[in-house]
Amino acid sequence: MDAAPPIAKRRPQRWRLMPERGTLSLFELALLAICVALVVARPPQYLQDVVIQTFLWAGLALAWNIAGGFAGLISFGHAAFFGLGAYTSTILTVNHGVTPWIGLWIGGALAAVFATLLTLVCARLRGPFFILSTLAAAEVVRIAALNWEKLTGGAEGLAILPTASVANMVFDSKTTYAALMLGYLVIVYAVTKAVEGSRYGYYLFAARDDEDAASAAGVNPLLARTGAMGLSAFLTGIGGSLFAQYFLFLDPTHVLSPELSFQFALLPALGGLGTAIGPVLGSFAITPLSEMLRAYFGGKAAGLHLAIYGGVLVIVMLYFPSGIAGALQRLSKRWRSSNR
Amino acid sequence: MPHALRWAALAAGAVALLATVVPGAAQESIRIGVLQPMTGPATKNGTENYTAMQIARDMFNERGGINGRKVEFLLADIPTPTAAISETERLTTKEGVKITLGSGVSLLAIPVSQAAERHGVFHWETAGAADIITKRGFKYTFQVGPAAYRYGQAAVDITLDELAPKLGKSPANLRVALLWENRAFGKSVGDSIRAYAKEKNINLVYDEGYDQFLTDMTPIVQRLKDVKPDVLLAISFPNDAILFQRKAKELDFNVGAMVGVSAGYSNPDLRDSIGDMVNGIFVSDFAARVNPKALSPETLKVADEFFKRYDDKMKRPPAGHASSAFSATWALFTEVFPKAKTFEPAELRDIALKLDLPEGSLANGSGIKFTNNDWPVDPKDAGQNLRASIGVWQWQKTGNNQVFPKKLATTEPLMVPLPNWSQR
Amino acid sequence: MTTVGQLVFSGLLIGGIYALMSIGLTLIFGVLRVVNFAHGEFLMLAMYGAWAVTKYLGLNPYYSVVAIVPAMFLFGVLVHRMIVAPALDKPHLVVVFATMGLSILMQNVALMAMSADLLDVPPMLGGRSFSFGPFYAKPELLIGFAVAVACTLALRFMLQATYLGKAIRATVQDGEAAQLMGVPVPRIFLITFAAGSALVGLSACVMMPLFSVFPTVGLNFVLIAFVIVVLGGMGSIEGALLGGICIGIVQSLSSYYIAPAFGQMFFFMLFLLVMIFRPAGLLGRKGEASIGIND
Repeated sequence: MDAAPPIAKRRPQRWRLMPERGTLSLFELALLAICVALVVARPPQYLQDVVIQTFLWAGLALAWNIAGGFAGLISFGHAAFFGLGAYTSTILTVNHGVTPWIGLWIGGALAAVFATLLTLVCARLRGPFFILSTLAAAEVVRIAALNWEKLTGGAEGLAILPTASVANMVFDSKTTYAALMLGYLVIVYAVTKAVEGSRYGYYLFAARDDEDAASAAGVNPLLARTGAMGLSAFLTGIGGSLFAQYFLFLDPTHVLSPELSFQFALLPALGGLGTAIGPVLGSFAITPLSEMLRAYFGGKAAGLHLAIYGGVLVIVMLYFPSGIAGALQRLSKRWRSSNR
Repeated sequence: MPHALRWAALAAGAVALLATVVPGAAQESIRIGVLQPMTGPATKNGTENYTAMQIARDMFNERGGINGRKVEFLLADIPTPTAAISETERLTTKEGVKITLGSGVSLLAIPVSQAAERHGVFHWETAGAADIITKRGFKYTFQVGPAAYRYGQAAVDITLDELAPKLGKSPANLRVALLWENRAFGKSVGDSIRAYAKEKNINLVYDEGYDQFLTDMTPIVQRLKDVKPDVLLAISFPNDAILFQRKAKELDFNVGAMVGVSAGYSNPDLRDSIGDMVNGIFVSDFAARVNPKALSPETLKVADEFFKRYDDKMKRPPAGHASSAFSATWALFTEVFPKAKTFEPAELRDIALKLDLPEGSLANGSGIKFTNNDWPVDPKDAGQNLRASIGVWQWQKTGNNQVFPKKLATTEPLMVPLPNWSQR
Repeated sequence: MTTVGQLVFSGLLIGGIYALMSIGLTLIFGVLRVVNFAHGEFLMLAMYGAWAVTKYLGLNPYYSVVAIVPAMFLFGVLVHRMIVAPALDKPHLVVVFATMGLSILMQNVALMAMSADLLDVPPMLGGRSFSFGPFYAKPELLIGFAVAVACTLALRFMLQATYLGKAIRATVQDGEAAQLMGVPVPRIFLITFAAGSALVGLSACVMMPLFSVFPTVGLNFVLIAFVIVVLGGMGSIEGALLGGICIGIVQSLSSYYIAPAFGQMFFFMLFLLVMIFRPAGLLGRKGEASIGIND
């Protein structure tokens, strides 16, 4: 019997149903079709707002996942990259008239540089030591931004003028924003899938799962990790710029906060860490849920909607520890094995 | 099978959640979107503001509303600026409100009014004070409460007019310290005090912002001790105000006069938390309770009813911002709405711009006259209420009494210089 | 000189109290290798308890220890049984986010039950302070510091000299081997978690006279606690005390000599520096940072 060829090189004989490493599945195509439909169908404005936020958060969750899920670099400081991207493009737009279409690349690049330095500095740290270092670094950035008033506007925040134009990346129509965010999501997803199925991806998984063995096999864990974090930060920074262009208001307390950092990690964790589809599912489940909880319960009793959210979080984490993607995989295996 | 059961439970839970939706049916009522932080760090402001607004609504509806049309509130929780934008959009696009009230604190007023303006919605701001609110060229945002700089100016004015003479110092010799919490309101007021003090040639011997999460006030108090100011102007939120006063007592930091600006120092709970230490502190703020002689008789009756209802509900008197929320909301109902026919934002805007109410017309002593890019001091300013009353009151043994300006005052400023801690 | 002395003195005392608040967390981490993200809310709950006992039973907040510590122990048992134990054999992030969900839940239940008001207990001794030469300190701070030191010593003694202590140390060193030697490891986990919770209860009773309680009060302290735990070396009780004192003094001095606007920034920077040069923390075992957590 010949040894089975490496998975990455095997041509799919038929379309896979569920997401797998290295190939596109029917599930993903179906999800893409639904997303496009949501954009094109022009739902009521309020729902469009939820759709836009869902797409944006899915992209951000995917970006985090490259570092957290693929490389094993759990970071609770991604708000720093998000904020760097958002503030860079906004400051360039507001103070220097640079179009956000250029500004967002600069913001992403700045975030990537910061992330690379941070990872190199924290290279020896693992587990909670690493996690808290990222949190500390993000807090340093937040407090610096809060006090560097001349640059960032300080506590009162920075606002972008809502004059709509393509050059300004400000649109009157929510459909255009939805398309923009979907574009972001698709690009980040494509990058994620490419990394997942590539040799570089294998280096990352190897370094994540067993660093010593990976080193012995010729992988350079430090380079692999740094690259992952840099890529993750770059994509997160771009997401930050898009956020700024939609909400048109930034302030350090909310754009660089630990709560935001937790959210970037929470969505992939709920959706399924280390898979490509996981973060997307996480955002698709949680973002509409939290928006709707606040919309329906926010006016009823102060705190009720968040209490429900917290309770749901506890239950979901305990009963679906490998996330939604993990649960779906178990379901599909069961379905497949019962059909044999 | 446990797995299927778990999925079924989740699904059932989700359905149950969604089924509890209570859609707002459009009736003859006048629907107003109310945006307040009901969760998050600004919850106290939000809940108190909302209580005051509800009292205004109830009182107004009991009196028959507008030709039988009642006012209906749709409340949205805005814990963060992002939520503020989303919720404002939801209320305006999904619920179709054309009038909004808000927003609890300055930081949230900025995005709420921004989102409202984007949708051409009439926004009546009762609490937010950051100066930038009215300087963005918006047409439909009206800030009824005083702008941040006025709080700062009142604090400096009382220092110059009343406190310096009582301390036996000329303005040139007066040592003034400025302490501000570095959130939007604190920073805005701090900036205005700095600018106004410079104008009046006052010497700021200390000028520091501090982080809201500071749990130990020792470095601040120690520095103040070293600098030995005559008067301390402080903008703090409730938690920091309590920590600061306690630490000042602990380290024996004494000052000739202590002037707090709104927020923490005007919070009625302060006496519950620090007891008699609070006596003698001045507060630059809108008065909760102003000199009755300054109000017209009908306004006085309305104000008294508000105070009684608020006290019954919350078991304590209203803070300045709650009073302001009531006064502004009441003014909207009784001065703007009666003149409206269509209740469209453009019409309401016209009515608002034409308002010319003298001071004393509103329950908290304010009048109404909005700028409209026609204010000599700043032609870029529109929607600011130049007659929002601001003054200084003082925590005294007999209660909180207005001491400045003289025409609104009910008593003289007491306890100047402030006795040392050992004597209090 | 007086200034520096006062800053260091006050920083020392408050740092001790920060440390007391973090000892529970470091114990839990050292033994169970989990980070309890609801730590701040445990503190909030215990503070509300201490306030309630003071207000409704008229007891001194320090005497409320008698009620609060056992109550928090039981609460810890409950949380461990329901949330932590089921999550122990799952990926590490599960317990992180489950406790995060718990923290959101607790904050908002407190908001619904108690409203956003700040609640305080009346000061001891009329709020006067003691003076040691030119330096001042409130009795509440001194007591808090004393309790922190006493607690550290008592825990050290317990860990060295008692059977339970030995069992805990064995579990930390090698859980499987400990189990083979007859140590009931799951029960040790339960006891440790509950004890950590009880320690939070103790610190709440000591902190109530110094701070107001409100639903989100945990947020003011939780980051400090995390930093102290990692700074001191995870699982090291003395490390937590040392870390807390460092943080208190750094914050005091930096807020004075640089600016109070930067708040917690300087101790975060201190933390990062320590992570670079002593990755296992001040008193952690060397190499621990490179191993991280056992999973």
